[in-house]
Amino acid sequence: MINPLYIKSARAITAQDCFNSNDLSQASRPCTGNRFVYVEPDYSRYFTIMQLRRMSRLTRIGLVAAIECLKDAGIAKPEAILTGTGKGSLNDTEKFMHAIRSFQEGTLNPSPFIQSTYNALNGLIGLHHQVNSYNTTYVHSGFSLEHALLDAALLMGDNTIRNALIGSFEEMTDEHYIIKEKLGFWKSGAVSGEGSFFFFAQQDKTGAVLAIEDLQLLFEPDQQKIRNAVHALLAAHQLQWQDIDVYISGRNKDTRYDSYYDLVSEQLTPATTELQFKQLTGEFDTASGFGLWAATRMVETGQLFPALVLKKGTSTRIKHLLFYNQYYSKQHVLYLLKAVE
Amino acid sequence: MSSVFITGIGIVSALGIGVEAQREKLVAGKSGLKSAVFLNSIHSNTFPFGEVPYSTEQLFSLIPVNTKLQQSRLQALAALALAECFTYCSPVGTSIRQGLVNATTVGGMTDIEDRYFELILPENQEANTDWASGLDCATGTEHLARQFGLTDFMTTVSTACSSSANAIQYGARLLQQGILDRVVCGGVDSLTRFTVNGFNSLKNLDKEACKPFDANRNGLNLGEGAAYLLLETEASLQQSGNRPLAVLSGYANFNEAFHPTAPSPEGLGAFEAMKRAIEKAGLLPADISYINAHGTATLNNDESEGQAIRRLFGEHVPPFSSTKVYTGHTLAAAGAIEAVFSILSLQHQEIYPGLPFHTPMPTINLVPVKDFRQLQLKHILSNSFGFGGNNASLVFSNYD
Repeated sequence: MINPLYIKSARAITAQDCFNSNDLSQASRPCTGNRFVYVEPDYSRYFTIMQLRRMSRLTRIGLVAAIECLKDAGIAKPEAILTGTGKGSLNDTEKFMHAIRSFQEGTLNPSPFIQSTYNALNGLIGLHHQVNSYNTTYVHSGFSLEHALLDAALLMGDNTIRNALIGSFEEMTDEHYIIKEKLGFWKSGAVSGEGSFFFFAQQDKTGAVLAIEDLQLLFEPDQQKIRNAVHALLAAHQLQWQDIDVYISGRNKDTRYDSYYDLVSEQLTPATTELQFKQLTGEFDTASGFGLWAATRMVETGQLFPALVLKKGTSTRIKHLLFYNQYYSKQHVLYLLKAVE
Repeated sequence: MSSVFITGIGIVSALGIGVEAQREKLVAGKSGLKSAVFLNSIHSNTFPFGEVPYSTEQLFSLIPVNTKLQQSRLQALAALALAECFTYCSPVGTSIRQGLVNATTVGGMTDIEDRYFELILPENQEANTDWASGLDCATGTEHLARQFGLTDFMTTVSTACSSSANAIQYGARLLQQGILDRVVCGGVDSLTRFTVNGFNSLKNLDKEACKPFDANRNGLNLGEGAAYLLLETEASLQQSGNRPLAVLSGYANFNEAFHPTAPSPEGLGAFEAMKRAIEKAGLLPADISYINAHGTATLNNDESEGQAIRRLFGEHVPPFSSTKVYTGHTLAAAGAIEAVFSILSLQHQEIYPGLPFHTPMPTINLVPVKDFRQLQLKHILSNSFGFGGNNASLVFSNYD
């Protein structure tokens, strides 16, 4: 059980055209090859050409998502910045590895090295908004965003902070796609994806849209453990299955692991609408950010995103939401979400 | 806030394997810096390094049980430190909720970089590419968690040079707010061509042994290593019966928005991190008996850290030194390694000298401890400052 985190605003940049509208009504971009690739925002609205030159693809995307998220929340300076990323700026990591080889460890441009650092985006967000604050980055694959959220909840729990900017960022490259292919990531139905998500969260529910009521992280659980964890989560919050209006699952068509999602689907009553999203985003370490973004936006607008509906339920409200995501059966995360009234 | 007790420590650095090996060298004032033997780089002899003086194979042969680990220098260093961390304490019942908060800057880069360019050739198909998963920072943590029975809760922090100090803080919060009963926190980094060239491109490496806080300092030396602390709550102590070695009494993280790599000259972030950590411990600056400084010996860091120390402590700066002259800068491991040194200082009531020091910085005029010294120590402040303005400070106190 955690102290609830109240989300006031949420932003997403993904392979779908969801950034400008902060909506998913136009979701229709297909993947190319086996990859969903970012629709990049119009950077000229945010940065000068000189500023742009100093940033790489992922830091630009992440920073723009953070800027708009804070703007939506009407906040100039958050009291903390916490992020999660599986791989950080892969383009920079690779660029620096190539430079080391090409120039045989000679005189190198330090920029890719600096930007490959996992906390580089956090520093940039701080610089851009002139925020001196608590600042940290979690790099644990499918748990990355969740630890940023959990840490923020703890910091609010002991009143170190009252609000925070929390986000995740991820990109895919040609080289890393091959590596993941060799590691078997794409062999059973999953499609590669990318996404960056930012959330402004606060201790207080005033003006907030969605509450993260609870968060459970499970590493390599067996199926029984997942069943038990979901039951315990509902019980701890005095909820019955029919109370769940929306179930969002991280199904990615991987035939090896999608059965985990069935464990929850099987329990649902006809009341619950079941949603899935990876057919539009692809799979990546911090894809759970999409589920949280979609939940926030659907609650705020009172409308489900039609492109996500797998099975329509009878409930007409969007009050209690259960979100389950797992990354190649290693990191499993369960979110219990509730609309703020 | 409830107390956070430290009941186990484990460490590997250029000074050797284990707490005793470290202390022997620290007391004798013997640095571990020298040319690198195992690092695959043209710079191996150009700069001194704090390299752990064993091959990866030798390290593996020393790990009590290693069946769940990958053949990785990163994991070997961490496993040796973790194994030692658990020698202090008794096993616990299943009702104890425990976890691992690890830290690293580049994960298994050392293990991958020599083979990377073959890996990215699509036509190059190996039967087993599991080793390539080490590129993920999470992978090492997960293998270690499986090996040491810490799979119930785990994560990995990466905030450059302050990574493991932030891991320790997160662990403390997890205990104090009832998420876990005990947690192993720390960090690991192994020397890589990637990082060596990164710091070299920033012109931050000294060709001689580093000279922290000296007016003639000329950069840092990179090192490698791992260190972990076992943190427990009061409730966990009652079950485990473990005896605390020290108390983590204060901690703070404070990022300054100044520059992507350089700290502000006046050390705003460093000042706030130290001040807040001391406040969190319910102490005053005058209560601090010794500062284990970040002291990388780069022009920027020591200037800003020195200014911040001056501003916070005024004319009453406690004895301070940087132990990076012994181990090199071990990046994500540094916060935890220096936490172990701080705990050793508290246990033995002694402080370790900053090795040859000649000229104080004219602007600040601070002189680090130059000789091994025994004195009464109650509270030690340990600093870890990093890229992106990320500053973290920890306060360790005697258990009595």
